Amino acid sequence: MRPSSPEDGPAPARIRPYLSHSGLGPAAEAAPSGLRPFVLTSGRVDGVDPDIGLETQVTARPDGPARGGIAVLNLAPELRTIIALCAEPVSVAEISARARLHLGVTRILVGDLRAAGYLDVHARDTARPYDPETIMRVIRGLRAIS
Amino acid sequence: MDYVPSPEPAVPAGSAPIPVKIVVAGGFGVGKTTTVGSISEISPLTTEAEMTSAGVGIDDPGPATGKTTTTVAMDFGCVTIDRSLKLYLFGTPGQSRFGFMWDDLAHGALGALVVVDSGRLDDCYPAVDYFERLKLPFVVAVNAFDGRLAHDLDAVRWALAIDERIPIVAFDARNKLSVRDALLVLLDRALADAVRSQHV
Repeated sequence: MRPSSPEDGPAPARIRPYLSHSGLGPAAEAAPSGLRPFVLTSGRVDGVDPDIGLETQVTARPDGPARGGIAVLNLAPELRTIIALCAEPVSVAEISARARLHLGVTRILVGDLRAAGYLDVHARDTARPYDPETIMRVIRGLRAIS
Repeated sequence: MDYVPSPEPAVPAGSAPIPVKIVVAGGFGVGKTTTVGSISEISPLTTEAEMTSAGVGIDDPGPATGKTTTTVAMDFGCVTIDRSLKLYLFGTPGQSRFGFMWDDLAHGALGALVVVDSGRLDDCYPAVDYFERLKLPFVVAVNAFDGRLAHDLDAVRWALAIDERIPIVAFDARNKLSVRDALLVLLDRALADAVRSQHV
């Protein structure tokens, strides 16, 4: 007795036209802008904590870093801006947009500020799917919109 | 009756709402940002990101695939459901290229709304294909510009070669309630998947 699993059915038989070249390749790329967004991260472009997603919520730690840390006032202006934005819970994407920092740069700096004890990063376990109750709450919330 | 805000903080100090992420995908100029803006409680924000356009998502990029990096802009908005739950809507960058950006967007997402202009169906093939491979719940939402569709929904379904289990709806990206209803179709589908996965 084998349960049927419709999700594992065969892929659609027809192939979407042009799909083989829909990747669009590098041909029509615009040249990179003159900005050097990763100067702030001392050139680091990876090593980002995978828990820090676009929607991940970040809050400033009210008591700041443990003793021995640098006072917020003495941090680089970009870092101070990030900490100020996190007075209320805010997503990484919002920090990036409001601080006008590249998303990749923002993720690295948020990771740095967490490691240094200025910020709390409220990472969701993305390996776990959303539970039905959470989805139901979103459904009820959207239905209430008029 | 005036709403009197509670004097207590919205959430206990140091805690944060659970973010629920939905991706709004589709080709260039199909109305993704309009969709996000219609329902978002804030004006859509824009963040810039590096996108590496290697052959991510393509089975065999071949040995000669070069990597190029471009800066793309991504629009997003949000809807506060309650004190502990916040819905985020992320529009994919206008270009339909595959890239790490898409993986970032889709990682941890509840599902995707693929916005389609029924007059330019081929723009959405990459998005449909991408979410199919990822097995992420998605809904095809045909944006009815001026209330008209160039093709009926059955014709769109046939042209996109999507499975009959994938919902396909007509909506108006400029209309808040229409966007809400399209999202509700997606949430119903995501809920069905979530319930099913609980019983495995």
